[in-house]
Order: sequence, then structure tokens, then C-alpha cells
Amino acid sequence: MISSNSKTSKRIIRIILFILIFIWCFGFLSPIFYSLNHFTVITYPFTKKIYSIVCHQINKKSFTINGEKLLVCARCTGIYLGALSASFISIFYFPDEIKGIELFLISLIFILTDVLLTTAGVYHYSKYLAMATGLFFGSVSFVYILNVVENNLLIRKNGN
Amino acid sequence: METKKILPSVVCGFGAAVLTTVPGIKNIGCCLIVPVGAFMSLFLDNKINKSLPPIDFKKAIAFGILTGIFAAFFSTFFDVLITFISHTNDYIDALPQTESLMNSYKLTGPLFDQTISMLRSMAKQIQVNGFSPLYTFMIFVTNIIIDLIFGILGGLLGMSYLNKRNQP
Repeated sequence: MISSNSKTSKRIIRIILFILIFIWCFGFLSPIFYSLNHFTVITYPFTKKIYSIVCHQINKKSFTINGEKLLVCARCTGIYLGALSASFISIFYFPDEIKGIELFLISLIFILTDVLLTTAGVYHYSKYLAMATGLFFGSVSFVYILNVVENNLLIRKNGN
Repeated sequence: METKKILPSVVCGFGAAVLTTVPGIKNIGCCLIVPVGAFMSLFLDNKINKSLPPIDFKKAIAFGILTGIFAAFFSTFFDVLITFISHTNDYIDALPQTESLMNSYKLTGPLFDQTISMLRSMAKQIQVNGFSPLYTFMIFVTNIIIDLIFGILGGLLGMSYLNKRNQP
């Protein structure tokens, strides 16, 4: 049973994490808004460089929305949007902590299998499949990271 | 911190930097290279220094930060070195696309002109000298920030995985 005090602290941590992930996602989704505000195009060279550190940004592997390519590939889009949606749901829903590592390993196996099979040419790269594996991995990873952060920050706060 | 304690972070940071520089590997590893590096540094620390589980939160963060810093340092170094030798890089390749995108929105004004002139001056310096101080500063700062964040995430995931694995 979670006490109301601990629930509030957990909710604050989750809201902060949601805001941070939202900012990150807004960055790679920024090309969508170029047509709404033309001056945001000036940020393109810098945001492209920032996201190039974490993604190969191959055009044919990225989604096009509103006529512009997103700044990360379909798989990375899935990972970050998975983490964003999991962080949003976590603000309202407090499930029990995941005890084992099986779920994390399964999500990792899905993503690795898709990467290996498309690289080996067993089947053609699909943006939607890549995004689906990314969504699963991103949401599961967020839950594991959230458990670690909450357990440690709340233990510190409670002085245990 | 003793040398033996930072060795896993140096090795994994170096490895992550090499993998992010090799074109084919980056296509496969994507955003997972630095987090996996941080994860591996915790794993190696357990093996080399015979650290007893469970892994402390502070230690996971510290290993994530160190791996991120070393990865950023080495990847900047490799990027600068390769650019110096070849007088070109992905920034030069992407500049025409960047300019055409910016021109397609028909932007005018001092801010736009300054941005374009700064981008062109960096490109010219790279093509002529193989080195641009502004470009180097820009990639170093972005590498540090991004690799630090992803290193910490990898450290936390590694802590979660290794602690859960070692649970009775």
C-alpha cells in the first residue's frame, strides 16, 4: 500500500521526468512545426547536429510528417515516444514494482532481432515495425529507470 | 578515484566513441551505444574490482557520467581527427540540404543572414584548413551534454539489471 505522502513525491518525480522527455521529444519533432512558425527553421542545423549524436538520421528510415523528415529514425522515434507515453501514464497509474529482468530482456530481444534480421536481409526494413519495437523497448526501459530513480530518491528523502 | 576504478569507464567510453564513429555500426547501434557503454562499465567494474552487489545509486550515476564524458571526449577527438585528414565531414555533406530547407521558407532578416554566414564560414574553414574552432566547440559541447544524459540512463538501467539479476 502506498502512503499519500509517498504517492505525492512519486507523482512529482514522474511529472519532472515527463517534462524532460517531452522537451527531448519536442526537439526531434520540431521539423513538424517549421510550417507553423518559419523562424524555427533557424534552429534546424543545430538540432540536426544534436540528434545526429544519438541517431544515424538516414532519410529512408525516418518518418516524414508535414512534409519534413523527423530528426531521428523510426526506431529512435519509437523509443522516445514509448518513454514519453509511459511517463505520461505513470503520472496517473501506480503499478507494483517489476521484480524480474525478463520484460527488459524480451524488449531488448525484439529490437535486436529486428535489427539483425533487416541487416542480414531476411526481410525488408519496415519503419512501422522498427517503431513498434522501439515503442516497447522505450516504455519498458522507462519503467525500469523510474523504479531505480524513485526507490533511491525516496529512500534518501525518508532517511533510510 | 583510483585508476583501476575509472578504467572500465575509460575503456567503455573509448569503445562507445569508436562505435559511434564507424558509419555502419552507428546505423545499427543508434542511440543505444553510449547507454550500453555505461552498462558495460558497471559490468566490467563488478568483474575487475570484484565489487559486491547491490550496486549503489551514486555509483551507477558516477559510472554513467564518467563513461559519457570519456565517450564525448574520444568521439570529439575522432571527429576532429577525421575531419582534419579528410577536410570534409557529415556537416559539410548536410549543408546544401540545410541551406535549401532554410531557403524554401523564404526567410529574411539579420538573424537568418547571420546563421547562414556562420554555417558557411564553418564549412569554409573545414574545407580549407580541415579544422574549425567553432565547429569543434559546438560538437564538443553537444557531445558532452548528450553523452552525459545517455550515460546516466545507461548507468541506471545497468544498475537495475545487475541488481535484479543478482537478487536471490
